[in-house]
Amino acid sequence: MGVPIDISSLVDQMRAAASEVAKKDISVLKGFSERQIKAIAQQAQLVAMGIASGQITEETQEFFLDSLKTMAQSFANTLQGLAKVTIEKVWNAMVGVLWGAIGTATGIDIPAIA
Amino acid sequence: MKRLVCILIPIAFVLLLSACAARLAPSYDKAIADGLVVTSQQLLTHFAATSSGTSAASFAQRDATYSNLIGSLDALSLQAKSRPSPKVSVNDKVNKYLAERGINLSDTGDIPSAAALEQISITLTKMRDVDKKQGVTAFEVAAFKGQVVIYLDQALTYENFLEREAL
Repeated sequence: MGVPIDISSLVDQMRAAASEVAKKDISVLKGFSERQIKAIAQQAQLVAMGIASGQITEETQEFFLDSLKTMAQSFANTLQGLAKVTIEKVWNAMVGVLWGAIGTATGIDIPAIA
Repeated sequence: MKRLVCILIPIAFVLLLSACAARLAPSYDKAIADGLVVTSQQLLTHFAATSSGTSAASFAQRDATYSNLIGSLDALSLQAKSRPSPKVSVNDKVNKYLAERGINLSDTGDIPSAAALEQISITLTKMRDVDKKQGVTAFEVAAFKGQVVIYLDQALTYENFLEREAL
């Protein structure tokens, strides 16, 4: 016979596991966002300067202007993709704690999640 | 960012209660991550070699480099896209949860790194075409490089982020 589950302790453990993953990942997301926003702003400035001075020729003007919008969309898409990975990791961290508690309580060795 | 933590953890709880599959994103592929690093180096070498601008008269000297780079980018994009995708139903649950809280995402289902690599390929193809037609000014090279570096950051960050720690 295993040990009964202490709900309060289990909730605390799950919360701690989730927070640890989230905090670590969010610092990566924040760094990425700051880099991208700064780089896209600098690119917009470069394109504007180049068009104004004629150093960006008519052949590429429209391309660079359209690309600014595409770049911003791609940044948002990437950020969304990164957030999904974080959600998945938070989910797995909590399931790991939960499975461990159930395993201890039942004496059954629950295989690791996929 | 604190708000993001408050959103992400409840989403994970929703998935936990619904006992969904554990995958929301593709698996990490070292070959893609390594390929990205190599291609990044080749791209930046190309921009260094053309940083003073180019003339159409000397395009033939760069033609093969463009072809190799565009080919590598397209192959990497294809590899990134061809990995098995997580269940759509799980992603739908996440999107629904966010939508109920006023966060509407335009989830195209695209793999972010594959989409960014496609954009790099488009950028380099444009550079090649202009180079062939009239040459590229130093300023245009800087603009092409700036654009490519932004997309490379997106692709590299996403692919490296897929490398989850062992559970």
